[in-house]
Amino acid sequence: MNHTSHIIRFAVVLVAVIAGFFILRGFLVPDSFGVQGDYKYGYHRGASDAEQAALPALYTGSKKCAQCHAAETAEWQAGKHAGVECETCHGNWQAHNNNTKDKAGKDSSIEACLLCHGEVEARPADFPQIADMKKHVEDGGGAYEKGMLCVACHSAHSPQQ
Amino acid sequence: MVTSRRDFLKQAGWTVLGGGLMASFVELPASKAHASSGDRTHLYAYVVDTHKCIGCGKCGEACRAENKVPDEFYRTWIERYTIYADGHVDVDSPHGGEKGATPIKKAHIDRSFFVPKLCNHCKEPNCVQVCPVGATYVSRQGVVLVDEKHCVGCGYCIQACPYGARFINPKTHVADKCTWCYHRVLKGLKPACVTVCPVGARQFGKVNDPNDPVGKLIKEARLQVLKPEMGNQPMVFYNGLDKEVR
Ligand code: HEC
Ligand code: HEC
Ligand code: HEC
Ligand code: HEC
Repeated sequence: MNHTSHIIRFAVVLVAVIAGFFILRGFLVPDSFGVQGDYKYGYHRGASDAEQAALPALYTGSKKCAQCHAAETAEWQAGKHAGVECETCHGNWQAHNNNTKDKAGKDSSIEACLLCHGEVEARPADFPQIADMKKHVEDGGGAYEKGMLCVACHSAHSPQQ
Repeated sequence: MVTSRRDFLKQAGWTVLGGGLMASFVELPASKAHASSGDRTHLYAYVVDTHKCIGCGKCGEACRAENKVPDEFYRTWIERYTIYADGHVDVDSPHGGEKGATPIKKAHIDRSFFVPKLCNHCKEPNCVQVCPVGATYVSRQGVVLVDEKHCVGCGYCIQACPYGARFINPKTHVADKCTWCYHRVLKGLKPACVTVCPVGARQFGKVNDPNDPVGKLIKEARLQVLKPEMGNQPMVFYNGLDKEVR
């Protein structure tokens, strides 16, 4: 019996399949794919790290704002809001930078203050909270008027008692 | 057909040889790409202090702006736990807590507090283990990342995450989650949520640096992690976790 021709045919098909596998693989696997870092969890496209690291940072921190807003910064540093970054209230620097003429977000509404200072059961008991504007104003010895703003009595940057 | 022992051994030999050859071919190109293999470090840690959080939601707002997170999807969110005198537990997080919290007008509240949540950047991340294409991985600094270009959006990682930190981004159609603001921390900045937190409820720093407040806290403050029984070894630590927190 002679099986040689069968074996050759089979071998040719096998070689073709293997070659096809490698050719396809070369196209489908990205260049930098491989183990980066450690074997267990580091198997990935290496270029991805750098791509993600290159994204722009929008929030820069209060040091940036001090470059142009020295007066506000000085006032802020001396007050009880010194632990609150400028960008927490005004939004990120990049948005401001893109349209300085339009001015940064500047919300002096009651709601903007109550977002942090409104009385909520879940807030830490030692955090200063206001349950009722009218009562708060009268407790402080003032006369309450409708539409009164918190910033009428408190500086937003340096709220002293 | 009768196979003699000699033929059988011959064929087995060829099979092993051929198989080995193929395996080595498959390994070869992959091993060439080892840019630098070595140990992964878990450089950073994140500390959440639930005693400090006031639930203002500024962190969520900043995260959305910084990372262009689509509306009604969250890379970080704030849960409010309310435990009543009768033991009933309520958890709510309207808009991920991003628009602040409204007062609860119910009596008999035993205790109530906020628990900010985000990706835990685990040391042993399930989500990375299940990824079929190597699109999610642990970076050399120990940050769990998603390769947006390589992800096929199958969603296995979303199911594998015990913390619900992942989602399919409706714009990119691939998995998305907190990166600890990888692009910021590599530049020496803090993640956006940490930057804007007015009360220091969110802190970020280096684990093994005794001069770093976060490194110090982890050493000294006896912190806890979420769902330790899952064995993922989260790198987000919590101060003041209640037994009701899941
Ligand atoms: C390159 C300089 C520069 C930097 C840096 C800068 N600003 Fe400004 N900012 C300006 C200018 C110019 C105006 C417009 C001033 C005006 O119209 O009175 C302005 C206006 C504002 C306003 C509105 C003022 C108003 O009267 O309505 C706010 C709020 C503000 N900036 C906040 C910030 C914050 C927060 C930062 C830091 C993230 C910052 N700025 C950084 C230049 C700067
Ligand atoms: C607690 C929130 C808060 C923080 C923190 C804060 N601001 Fe303001 N800022 C406000 C509000 C509210 C106003 C509007 C004040 C008003 O209407 O009286 C304002 C107004 C301004 C203005 C306009 C000038 C003016 O007097 O109207 C500038 C400029 C400004 N802020 C810059 C800064 C800078 C710089 C920082 C950081 C050093 C900062 N702000 C921090 C809430 C804040
Ligand atoms: C992002 C959150 C946030 C916002 C918005 C905010 N504050 Fe504050 N505020 C704080 C923090 C944090 C403190 C410091 C609390 C402390 O010392 O325990 C504080 C302190 C104060 C204090 C001093 C409290 C004391 O114990 O003496 C006053 C008054 C105050 N804020 C008023 C305001 C007013 C008015 C506004 C609106 C313009 C405002 N705050 C907006 C976070 C905020
Ligand atoms: C009529 C002026 C007036 C207005 C308007 C006003 N406050 Fe006050 N506020 C005061 C005075 C006066 C005190 C000091 C009272 C005291 O120590 O008992 C005070 C104290 C505070 C404190 C510290 C309280 C504490 O428990 O330590 C906070 C926080 C505060 N105000 C926030 C606000 C917010 C938020 C608003 C707007 C919703 C607001 N205030 C509106 C006059 C005012």
